[in-house]
Amino acid sequence: MKAVRILTRVLIYVLALAAVSVLLIAASGADPVSALGIFVNGIFGNKNSFCEIFVKGTPLILTGLACALAFRTGFFNIGTEGQFYIGAMAAAAVSLRCTFLPPVLRVVGAFIIGFLAGGLWSLIAAGMKLRFNISEIIVTIMLNYIAINFVGVAVHSFLQDPASGLPQSERLAAEVTLPRIVSGTRLHIGFFIALALVVLIWFILEKTTWGYEMRLVGLNPRAAEVNGISVAGGVVRAAMLSGGLAGLAGVIELMAIQKKLLEGFSADCGYTGVLIALLAANRPELVPVAALLYAAAQVGAAAMQRQANVPSSMVSILIGCIVIMLLARAWLSGRVSRRGKQRV
Amino acid sequence: MFETIMTWSFWTMLLASGVRMAMPLLYAGLGEMVSERAGVLNIGMEGVMLCGAFFSFAGAYYTGSLGLGLLFGMLGGALISMIHAALCVKGKQNQTVSGLALNMLALGLTSFLYKLMFNSGERMQISVLPKVKVPLLSEIPVIGEAFFNQDILAYAAYVLLIAAFVLIRYTRLGLSMTSIGENPMAADAAGIHVEKRQMLACLVNGLLGGAGGAYLIIAQLGLFNDNLTAGRGYIALATVILGRYSPFGVFLAALLFGTANAVEIRLQAFGVPVPTQALAMLPYIITLCALLMTSGRNREPEALAKPYIRGGR
Repeated sequence: MKAVRILTRVLIYVLALAAVSVLLIAASGADPVSALGIFVNGIFGNKNSFCEIFVKGTPLILTGLACALAFRTGFFNIGTEGQFYIGAMAAAAVSLRCTFLPPVLRVVGAFIIGFLAGGLWSLIAAGMKLRFNISEIIVTIMLNYIAINFVGVAVHSFLQDPASGLPQSERLAAEVTLPRIVSGTRLHIGFFIALALVVLIWFILEKTTWGYEMRLVGLNPRAAEVNGISVAGGVVRAAMLSGGLAGLAGVIELMAIQKKLLEGFSADCGYTGVLIALLAANRPELVPVAALLYAAAQVGAAAMQRQANVPSSMVSILIGCIVIMLLARAWLSGRVSRRGKQRV
Repeated sequence: MFETIMTWSFWTMLLASGVRMAMPLLYAGLGEMVSERAGVLNIGMEGVMLCGAFFSFAGAYYTGSLGLGLLFGMLGGALISMIHAALCVKGKQNQTVSGLALNMLALGLTSFLYKLMFNSGERMQISVLPKVKVPLLSEIPVIGEAFFNQDILAYAAYVLLIAAFVLIRYTRLGLSMTSIGENPMAADAAGIHVEKRQMLACLVNGLLGGAGGAYLIIAQLGLFNDNLTAGRGYIALATVILGRYSPFGVFLAALLFGTANAVEIRLQAFGVPVPTQALAMLPYIITLCALLMTSGRNREPEALAKPYIRGGR
């Protein structure tokens, strides 16, 4: 019975989304049926575009995972956008400026430093929350803008390529970039690193005492505290891990795709991560599904824009609609208990 | 360069453009302040402003009237913020998630619609509001030129500022909203209709945020672009915090951010070797420092972003 209920629910969502899509496609003057063909063909049509799903999905998996982990611990990290940039910047500094190290060490170092930089950046918000009781939502948003501008300063000064004079860093040497797996596509090893991290975070959160404590802090900080579980400890852990994951998203995007530091290269994947986490109900094991579906929609919509002149901003409208529908369903089915607790 | 900087006219110009840049932030900041005082955090202010900007542009472009443009902009902003109100005030859902989703929806919707508009015509531009000098007041050196030689919407903002001050300090409605933000249960027990007041606060948030976005179009730029607001909605959130949830505080914070923006543009024009981003991050750093320094005397409404459920605890 439960399976039937879930199936009908999913069906309703799909139908609603299809209705919105048809409306949008028709509004832009294209034929919905042929546009759908282009959409599907854009995804499965060739090796390159199919692999592109995983390329676009990789940073989203990591930022989505970062948000899911933080939200489960009751730490509202909206700052994955900034942590992404700080991680990428740290990785760029290590791989470009530490040339005295052998390439392997520079790659490993970039990952470690990128993780730490992102984690410490989000720890600022955790510290302000714990010490001064300041809302982490606001602080992480402010930190996003500081980080974005910080990258801007960096590519105009200490990380600028002196040869080009453009606001960007030098190109990473080939031996410090992440290898590609399928020739002729951009699919790189970072995707599997992201999947491994999903498994790791799932294991930590669901199967270890550490993760149990974090979840408890998220569910009921008061109960955690009176049972001798440190709320501060849980929040610090969540902030460090979540910021670190977002930082790694930046590291991987830098070392596998962009290969140089420049402004605006996150393409908002930090903010999207928040919504990915919500679609995955904050469960680490569902994050890759949500992220890859979103990435597939992006790839297909890009093809529609190229070939049928349907604006690809349609994807943003659809994901906005999905989240609103999810929230509305939670409201209408009265899943919020009378005590006002939210699912974490 | 130094000769240019050391003249009165330079400072007058700088302050004048600072005031102009502050106006969208002032409108949106006041709107956000009202809803936050009533306990509703709207992270979606960016989306509210963006919708305000787009719909005012479309309205003004098709009707040829800036007044109607403003009206459409305000309604566009209210549309976004009322979805937020439905989900969060009526539905008790997570305000952060709803706000971020609305930002994404607004970003997609406005660039989608703009592309459709753009397909049908050539380069679209509308004329902007003219400046109107206020007699006498505009004769005051520096300040007069900056504050009283602006467009009519800027003067409306001054009136609004005073109205917001009176509303919050001296009216039953304003005081009841503040009490909801601090302790909705007590407010409810005192016979205040919590949801109704919060819905009203969200409506004000949308109308004013929409007006802030519309100001960018009908008083400053006269044209629309994808993601035109570029983070101004988030700065509006910062003005509320830096302004300590008071109308005049929001005004001063908006002035600070606006002037910083104006300085940034001037420095760029001078070709100063400091990256402008170093200056662009200053407002945010100031806001964080202000949060830290005033942490003991926190003005944040006690029940901000916490859904109130009758009979819950």
